[in-house]
Amino acid sequence: MERDLVEYIAKSLVDDPSGVSVNVVEGEKSTILELRVAGDDIGKVIGKHGRIAKAVRTILSAAATKTQKRVVLEILD
Amino acid sequence: MVHEFEGKTEREAIDQAAAELGLARDEFDVEIVESQSGGIFKKGRVVIRVHTREAHVENRRVERPRATRSEEGMVRAPRAMAEPVPADEFEAQVVDFTKTVVEKMGYDCTVSVLFREPLKLGLKIDSEHASILIGKKGKNLDAIQLLANVYAGKLGREDTRIIVDSENYRIRREESLVRMAYETAETVRRTRNSVLLEPMNPFERRIIHTTLNDIVDIETKSEGEGLYKQVRILWKGLRR
Repeated sequence: MERDLVEYIAKSLVDDPSGVSVNVVEGEKSTILELRVAGDDIGKVIGKHGRIAKAVRTILSAAATKTQKRVVLEILD
Repeated sequence: MVHEFEGKTEREAIDQAAAELGLARDEFDVEIVESQSGGIFKKGRVVIRVHTREAHVENRRVERPRATRSEEGMVRAPRAMAEPVPADEFEAQVVDFTKTVVEKMGYDCTVSVLFREPLKLGLKIDSEHASILIGKKGKNLDAIQLLANVYAGKLGREDTRIIVDSENYRIRREESLVRMAYETAETVRRTRNSVLLEPMNPFERRIIHTTLNDIVDIETKSEGEGLYKQVRILWKGLRR
């Protein structure tokens, strides 16, 4: 579900939605979401001083979680 | 057309008139309505009335509703009730984006238009989980608002600011900031010691600065780096 959220936001903000992919790595205590976007779009999901990335992380932590797992967002290039 | 402007000096009032109307000094006539020079305890105040010849000046002017100050010291711009349904494609897309983000966060909600102003669009989120969506000190609401703004920019409307509100949080926050500003200023005046407020975003800091701007013996300064700076309120006394 968090995967969907990140994917939707990323696809809405980038120029090339087909270049967006989210890989989920399930850990014991936390879930890691690895976000990949097309090379030119990396700034679109990070923002100046990481403002966009920070907002996405804030929204992720506010998203309803049935499990008590922490969700970590990593943006890969 | 007749407009009224106010300033500390005649010069300042005229400059402001020229700036707001977008006219050169010789394009309008000035009538002094009220003039008080500054004393030791008082700031000077000059009110002028400006007569312009062209009617189209009104259109050149950026529409900016004058803030009205009520007795409680709350500053609020009057806002007309807006039609809550999106009026065009742009509004529909931003409303839809905001609603989808909240739903994908796992919360049912409805999103509607709260107000429309030139270059400003206010949205309202109604949800039974509003308190989570607002978050501590509006943190989550700010994040949703930021993304809505970036998305609006992507639609080619970077000049339009999107305001996202829920449960009137933004107005309530503004009122509590104004109240806090006055209360802190009172403490500072009594103790003569400066007070450093908690970190705030630019919008919130601006409320503190403008609230205390008119108080002669109090000064405000921003300290720190980055987006979340802190405002210091200090006593500067009555020297001019």
